[in-house]
Amino acid sequence: MTEKIANQGELTALRDALCKTEAAASAAGHLSIRVCLGASCIASGAEKVVKALENEIAERSLQDKVSIIGTGCMGPCSGGPVMMVGDVFYENIKPQDVKDIVAGHIGRGQVVDRLTHKRPDGRSVPHAAEIDFFKRQKKILLRNCGRINPRRIEDYIACDGYQALAGTLERGDADKVIETMRASGLRGRGGAGFPTWRKWKFTRDAAGDVKFVVCNADEGDPGAFMDRSILEGDPHSVIEGMAIAGFTIGAKRGYVYVRAEYPLAVQRLKIALEQARKRGLLGKNILGSGFDFDLEIRMGSGAFVCGEETALLTSIEGNRGEPRPRPPFPAVQGLWGKPTVLNNVETYANVPAIVLNGGPWFAAQGTERSKGTKVFALAGTIKNSGLVEVPVGTALGDLIYDIGGGIPNGKEFKAAQIGGPSGGCIPKHHLNVPLDYESLSELGAIMGSGGLIVMDQDSCMVDVARYFLEFVQEESCGKCAPCRVGTKRMLEILNRICNGEGEEDDVERLIELGEMIKDTSLCGLGQTAPNPVLSTIRHFGHEYVEHIRDKHCRAGVCPALVKAPCSSACPANVDIPGYISLVGEKRYAEALRLHRERNPFAAVCSRVCFHTCEDKCRRATLDAPVSIRGIKRFMVDQEVTIQLPEVRENEFNAKQKIAIVGAGPAGLSCAYFLARLGYRPKIFESEPRPGGMLVQAIPAYRLPREIVAREVRMIERMGVEIYTNTTLGKEVTLKSLRAEGYDSVFLGVGAPLGLGLGLPGADAEGITDALNFLRTYNIRGSVPVGNDVVVIGGGNSAIDAARTALRLGAEKVTVVYRRSRDAMPAYEEEIEEAEHEGVVLRLLTAPIEVVYEEKRATGLKCTPMRLGEFDRSGRRRPEEGGDAFVIPADQILVAIGQTLDLQQITKDVHLEVRNQAFVQIDPVTCQTSEKWIFAGGDAVTGASSVVEAVAAGERAAAGIDQYLTGENHAFWRKDREVDTFFDPEAEPSESPREKLNLIPVERRRGNFDEVEQPWREAVAVCQAQRCLRCDYGKRCAETSG
Amino acid sequence: MISLTINNVPVEVPEGTTILCAAKQAGVRIPTLCYVEGLKAVGACRVCAVEVEGARNLVASCSMPAAEGMKVLTNTRRVRESRRAVVELLLSEHNGECQTCDRNEDCELQALAAELGIREISYVGEKTRKRLDVSTPALVRDMGKCIKCRRCVSVCQETQNVGALFPQNRGFDTVIGPAFGHNLSTVACVQCGQCAAVCPVGAITEKDQIDDVWKALDKADNHVVVQTAPAIRAALGECFGYPPGTLVTGKMVAALRRLGFDAIFDTNFTADLTIMEEGTELLTRLKTAILGDEGRGAGDGKNANESNPQSPIPNPLPMFTSCSPGWIKYLEYFHSDMIPNVSTCKSPQQMFGAVAKTYYAEKLGKKPEQIIVVSIMPCTAKKFECQRPEMDSSGTRDVDIVLTTRELGKMIRAAGIDFASLPDEEMDAPLGLSSGAADIFANTGGVMEAAIRTAYELVTGRELPLAGLHVSPVAGLDGVKEASLKIEGAKPEWSFLEGVTLEVAVAHGLGNAEKVISAIKSGEKQYHFVEIMACPGGCIGGGGQPRYTNNKVRQARIAAIYREDEGKKLRKSHENPAIAQLYAEFLTEGPLGHRSHELLHTTYTQRDRF
Repeated sequence: MTEKIANQGELTALRDALCKTEAAASAAGHLSIRVCLGASCIASGAEKVVKALENEIAERSLQDKVSIIGTGCMGPCSGGPVMMVGDVFYENIKPQDVKDIVAGHIGRGQVVDRLTHKRPDGRSVPHAAEIDFFKRQKKILLRNCGRINPRRIEDYIACDGYQALAGTLERGDADKVIETMRASGLRGRGGAGFPTWRKWKFTRDAAGDVKFVVCNADEGDPGAFMDRSILEGDPHSVIEGMAIAGFTIGAKRGYVYVRAEYPLAVQRLKIALEQARKRGLLGKNILGSGFDFDLEIRMGSGAFVCGEETALLTSIEGNRGEPRPRPPFPAVQGLWGKPTVLNNVETYANVPAIVLNGGPWFAAQGTERSKGTKVFALAGTIKNSGLVEVPVGTALGDLIYDIGGGIPNGKEFKAAQIGGPSGGCIPKHHLNVPLDYESLSELGAIMGSGGLIVMDQDSCMVDVARYFLEFVQEESCGKCAPCRVGTKRMLEILNRICNGEGEEDDVERLIELGEMIKDTSLCGLGQTAPNPVLSTIRHFGHEYVEHIRDKHCRAGVCPALVKAPCSSACPANVDIPGYISLVGEKRYAEALRLHRERNPFAAVCSRVCFHTCEDKCRRATLDAPVSIRGIKRFMVDQEVTIQLPEVRENEFNAKQKIAIVGAGPAGLSCAYFLARLGYRPKIFESEPRPGGMLVQAIPAYRLPREIVAREVRMIERMGVEIYTNTTLGKEVTLKSLRAEGYDSVFLGVGAPLGLGLGLPGADAEGITDALNFLRTYNIRGSVPVGNDVVVIGGGNSAIDAARTALRLGAEKVTVVYRRSRDAMPAYEEEIEEAEHEGVVLRLLTAPIEVVYEEKRATGLKCTPMRLGEFDRSGRRRPEEGGDAFVIPADQILVAIGQTLDLQQITKDVHLEVRNQAFVQIDPVTCQTSEKWIFAGGDAVTGASSVVEAVAAGERAAAGIDQYLTGENHAFWRKDREVDTFFDPEAEPSESPREKLNLIPVERRRGNFDEVEQPWREAVAVCQAQRCLRCDYGKRCAETSG
Repeated sequence: MISLTINNVPVEVPEGTTILCAAKQAGVRIPTLCYVEGLKAVGACRVCAVEVEGARNLVASCSMPAAEGMKVLTNTRRVRESRRAVVELLLSEHNGECQTCDRNEDCELQALAAELGIREISYVGEKTRKRLDVSTPALVRDMGKCIKCRRCVSVCQETQNVGALFPQNRGFDTVIGPAFGHNLSTVACVQCGQCAAVCPVGAITEKDQIDDVWKALDKADNHVVVQTAPAIRAALGECFGYPPGTLVTGKMVAALRRLGFDAIFDTNFTADLTIMEEGTELLTRLKTAILGDEGRGAGDGKNANESNPQSPIPNPLPMFTSCSPGWIKYLEYFHSDMIPNVSTCKSPQQMFGAVAKTYYAEKLGKKPEQIIVVSIMPCTAKKFECQRPEMDSSGTRDVDIVLTTRELGKMIRAAGIDFASLPDEEMDAPLGLSSGAADIFANTGGVMEAAIRTAYELVTGRELPLAGLHVSPVAGLDGVKEASLKIEGAKPEWSFLEGVTLEVAVAHGLGNAEKVISAIKSGEKQYHFVEIMACPGGCIGGGGQPRYTNNKVRQARIAAIYREDEGKKLRKSHENPAIAQLYAEFLTEGPLGHRSHELLHTTYTQRDRF
C-alpha cells in the first residue's frame, strides 16, 4: 500500500477505495472510537486510556467490531482526555472508566451517562452535535483535526486529501491559484492579516529561478496552540498547502520552521513528510506533473522573535534569529536572498480547502473585509478552554460564553487578552466586538495568531500588563534601542507601580514611551510590544490610578499592595486576618476594637455586608472561603457594653465647626472618624431617626433596629450631636450653614428617591416606589400592602420590598426582572431566602404596561425577554422576544434605581455634578468643587453598599481634617501589630465552611424577627481558625487609605 | 533616476539610494549612530528615523531605499521627539563615565546628545552591566559603555571576515562580545582594532600604554628611542584639529623630541630594509619556482624557505607580504596551510627593534637592555605583534612599547605641547633616513609599489618605466587590485626572468584578503606576489588612527602619503645610503644573509580558532 501515486486518477481511485471500505465497515456495524491524542490530552493521560481500551477490547475479543483511532486535538482541552464513540462524546476519561464504556456503550449500546458532557443545569448531552462547544463552531480548517489519524496519510486521502494539489498540478495554471486565493479573501493567520494572494503574487512576480516556501510554525504567544494542534492533528493539510504555494510561486523547496518545544508536532510532521514522499506527493515529478517539490523541517530553539518573518529566515540561514530591516521584503529577497513566501501553519492549512471548494465558498464566511474562519485557543479563566474555530467576525462574548461556557466559579469576566503579548486587553464593555482584524485593532488589540486568554475579576490589569511586557522584554532580540531599552524602562515603571512606588506622571510616561517604541522599533515585536500596557491603560486606566494614587490593587494581586486579599478587597480596609485571628483566640473585645479601627459599624456589617472579602479569600482555592461575616457576627454578639475607640482629644479641632448632612452610614462614619481626631461635628438628619438606609430601607429581619441604635449611640457618646427632622434645603441650606460659621460640611444625603417607572399606566393607584414603601413601613410602622404584589427590579431594594410585603400579609409576591438571575444585583443569599419564603422570580421578563381598572392597577403587562448582544456592563442586553402576558397585581412596587434631587439639596451653592445626578468629588479627599464641602456615600456613587459608605465617610473625615489643618492625622490607617499565635508550618485546619443558622421559613411570616442566628462559640472559633493568615510576615507596612 | 522630495525639496537620486544618502545629497543632515558607510545597514539604533508620507511608522532612513514620489520629512515634531527619545534611552543604559572616558569629547553619543539638545534624561533605570575585557595586549572592551550599535559586529564580520564579535543574550541583557561570553584572547581575534576604530563610544579602545612610555622616559639611564610608522605623519594632525591629509612630519618630530625621547627615528628606515630583504626573497622564490630544483639553494646559496623546512612545497608562490600583523594573525587562524607563502621578513616595526637594539646599540656602545624602543603605530595589532615570543632577536624584547596615533596625540596634549606652534624638525641619523618608497608602505598598494621599484631595477638595471614611478593599477581604494609587469632586458644573473610577466595583486581589508585567497586556492587566480593589509586603505586606515575614518579621510591621507613620497629625492629603497651603510657595516652578507636572517626574518604559528 505504499507505492507511489502516479497521477490524479490514481489518487481519486485510492480515495474512493478507502471510502468504500469505511462505508462497508460502518454498514456492518463496525464502530470507531476516536481518542484525542493531542498534546493536551496526552498530558492528561490519553495514552493510558488508549492502552486500557485496547486491553479491554482484546479481552472481549471485539477487535473486529471496533477500531480505535488516535486523532489530533478535538478541541475541548479542559475536558481531556476526551473521546468519541460513534457520535457520542465522552470527557474526563480515566483508564478505569474504559471498562464501563466498552461494556456499556459498545457491549449493550447504552451511553455511559456518567462520562458524557453536562450542561450548566446538569443535564447530560451525549451527542457531540448537540454540545454547545461543538455546535456553535464552523470547522473548515479543523475539519480533519480530531477525526483522522494524523499518522496515516490514507486517512487524509480518504478525506479528499491532496485532491487540491492534484487538481492544481493537473490544471497547471498558477495564475488561477492566485485568482482563487484572491477570491477567497484569505489573510495571513499569523497575525498581521496581509492578503495571502498578494504575498504569493509578489513572490511569483519576483525575479529569480530559485524561490522558497517557508512555513512559520514558531508559535510563541503564551496561550496560543493552534499551529501546534494543526501540525499534530492534520499535518498533511499544511504540506499540501505548502506544495500548492510552491507550485504557484515557482519554488522547488520549502522549510517548516517549528519550535523544538513541539516534539509531538515535529514527530507527526516527520511521519507525514515521509509518507507523502513515499506516495509521490512530495519529491520529484509529483503526480506525474513534472513539478518537483520537497520540504525540510528546521527546528528553532524557542525564541519568540523568530516568529517575525525576517528573524525566522535569518534563523533558518543558520544565524542568530534577529529581524532585518524591510524592505527588501521576503517576497523579493527572503531566504538566502531569494524570493520567499512565508505564511504560518494555519494559513497554509486553509489552502487545500479553498482550492478544492473555490474562493467564493470560503469568502461566504466572515465579514466584509475578513473572510473565512479563524481558530482561537481559549485559555485562562474560562470553563471550556481549548481549540475552537468560528467564522471571522464572531462576537467575543459569543465565543467566551456560548462556546467557552463563560467564567468558572461564579466569577465575573474582566478582560480578554487577544493576540498574545503583542495584543491587547479587551474589557467587558466591548464583549460585542466582532473578532476581525479591523475591529480588534480599533480597540488597541490585534488578532494575532488567535491566542485568547480570558481573565476574571481576580486578575490585576497592571500586573497582567507587567507580565506580558516582561515576556517581550526578555524575548526582545536586543537589536534596536527602542525595543531593548524602551521596554525595559516601561517594565521598570510597571514594577514600581506594582510595588506601590508609582509616581504621579507614570501613566503619561508609559503612554509616551509606548507610542515612541511602537513608532520607531525595527520589527513587529517592538512595534507591538507596548500594546498590552497601552490597551490596559486605555481600558483599565483606573486600576493604574488606584495603584499609583491609592496604593491599592483591587484584584488583590500585587504583593506589595496587598497585606491580605480579604483586607484589600474590603472597601473600608478592615484588618480582617487580624480580628479573625483574635476571635480564634477568644479575644473578642480586642477583635472588635481592631475592627472598629476602620469600620465603626461592625455589628451592622456583620448582618448586611456584601463581604467582597470572602470572594477574594484564598482559602477558596483549598475548599471554601472563610466565613468572615459569620465570624464577625459572633464577635459583635459578644459585646456587652459598647467600648469607645481611641479618641485623640484636640483643643483646636474641638473648636472647628463641622456640619454633616445625613445620618446614614456615610455621615455617621465621617462623624465617627472626625470625633476620633477630636472634632465635634454636628449631624443634620431629615428623618425622625438616624441611620439612613440602615433603618429606612433595610428590613428589621435582616438588621434589628437595636443593633443600629447601639452603634449610633456609640458615635453620639464620642461627642457627636445629631439633629433629626432637619432637612437640607428646607430647615438649613449650605449657605445658611456657612453663615452660621461652619468651617466645613459633609454631604451624606444618600440617594433616597426611587426612579419612576415611565410606562403607560404608571400613574395608576397601587403603584408605589419600593423605597418609599420600605421607608413608610420602617419609620411609621405600617404601610398598605396588596394581595398580589409585583415588585419590579432585581436589586436589594426589590428583594427587601418583596420579603417585607410577604411578611406584611401579601398572598403572592412576584419579582419581575428583565435580565437573567446571574445578572441580578441583589445579594445571592437574599435572593435565595426570598425564594425560600415564597417569593416568585419572573426572570427575563420586562414590564411594558400597567393594566388598570378605574385608575387602580390590576396587573402588569410583561413581555418575555431573551438575551441579545452584550452591553457596556458586560451583561447580555435583554431583547423583547415572544408574546406579552399579564401578571395580576393589585400592588406594584417599583425598584428600578435610586437617585437624589441635588438641585433641591444644594440650591444655593453650585456643585459640580457627575452623571447628571450625583456629586462630583476628589476620590481621595472626597472634596467637592466647593472647597469646604465634602461628600460621600450614595449621593456620590448612586445606590451602593453600607461598607462603601463607611469607607467614604472615613476618607471624607481625613479629607476634612487635611482641609482644616493642612495635615493628615488619620492615625487609624497605620498598620497594627497583632500578637496572635500563628504557625506557618502547620497544616491548615480541616474544618469545612459553616453556614449561619437561619430560622425556619414557616416562622418568618407575619413577623420581622432576625432570620440569621449566630453560631455557638466552638463553631465560631473553629471557623476563625480556618483562616490561612495571608497577612503573615507582611505587617507593619503603611496601609492604604 | 528616482524623484522624491525631502522636506519638500525635490531630489533626484539613482535607484537603490537610501533616504539617508538622498538626504545628504539634498544637504539635509540626518543624525545616525549605528550606520557605517559602506557596510550593510543594520537599522539597530533608530536614530535616523524619518517620517515618510503614507507609512504607518517612522522609517529608518539608513536602510529604506528612496522610492519614486516619496515624500520624506526629517524635521517634524514626531521625528525630533523620537530621535531625542531614542538617544535618551541609549544614554539611560550607557554606563559611561564621560569625564574619565577615553572618548571624552571624541564620543559620537555625546556629540549626538549635544546636537539634539538633550539636557536631561527622562528615562532612568538599570544600566548595562560593567565588564572589562583586558585579556588581549591590544584592545580593551568595556561592556558597560557598549550601546549595542553593532558597528563592531559588522566591521568584524563584513569588512574583516573575522567574526569575533556577536550579539548575545536577549532583551536588556543583550551584550556584544566574543561567543559564549569569552574574552577576546580566547577567540580568533586578529587585534586589527577596526572595531575600536568604528566604535562610537568608549566601549572598545586600544590598551592605553602612555604611562609605560612616561615611566621609560622618566628613568635616567634608559636610552629611549622612538620609531614612527609611515602612516602617522598623515594622520596625527587630525588629533589637533588639522584636516585629514595634513602632513605633520616635522612637527611630529619636534613634539617627540620635546617629549624627551633620546632619538627620533623612522620606521621608514626599516621599511626600506624590508624592501631589500623581501625583494630579494621574492626574486629567490621566483628563481626556485622557475628553475625548479636547480634554483634551490641558488641565489647566494640561501634558501628562503629555510624557516619552514617541513614545508612540502619549497618556496611556494605567490608570496604574501608580512608587514601587517593583523593579516598575519588572520592567516595563522584561518589559512595556516598557506604559512609557507608568507614572506619570512619581519614587519618594519620589528626589523627596527632588532636593528636598534643591535646595530644602533653597538654604535652607542650600549647593551640591548639599555635601549628602550617605543613605536608609534597606526595599528593596535602592533601591540600584539611586539610581544610575540619570537620577536626577541636582540636577546630581549625588540620593541618595548607600542602607542597608537591616538595615544601619541593624547600624550602630546598631556605634556602641554602646543602642536600647532611647533617648528618642523628632522629625524635623527642613522635610523631616521628613508626613501619615498618607505613612505608609501602606509597605504594599500604601497609595499607592492615600493618592492616593484626596487626589484625591477635590480633585475633590469633600469628604473621602473612608469610615470612618477607609480604603479597606478595597485593604488586606490578598490578592494582587490591586480597588475602585471613584463620583464624585458633582464641582467644576465636574472636572465631566467626574461620575458616573464609578473602577476601581482593587492588587497586591503581582510574580507578582500579572503577573496584573493579563495581565488588562489580554487586555482582561479595565479599570482607571484600579493600584498595584503588588514585594514581598509592600509595602515592609514589602521585601528589606531584618529577617529572617524571613512573613505574620504582614507583618500586624503593616501594623497598626503604620495605627496610625501613625491617630495623626496630618494624614491627607491635600495638607494637609501643609510641602508647601504647598514649592509656594509653590519649585515655584511647582504640581504637574506645569515645575520639578516637572524635579526630580520621570523616564523609563524598555526593558531586554533577556539
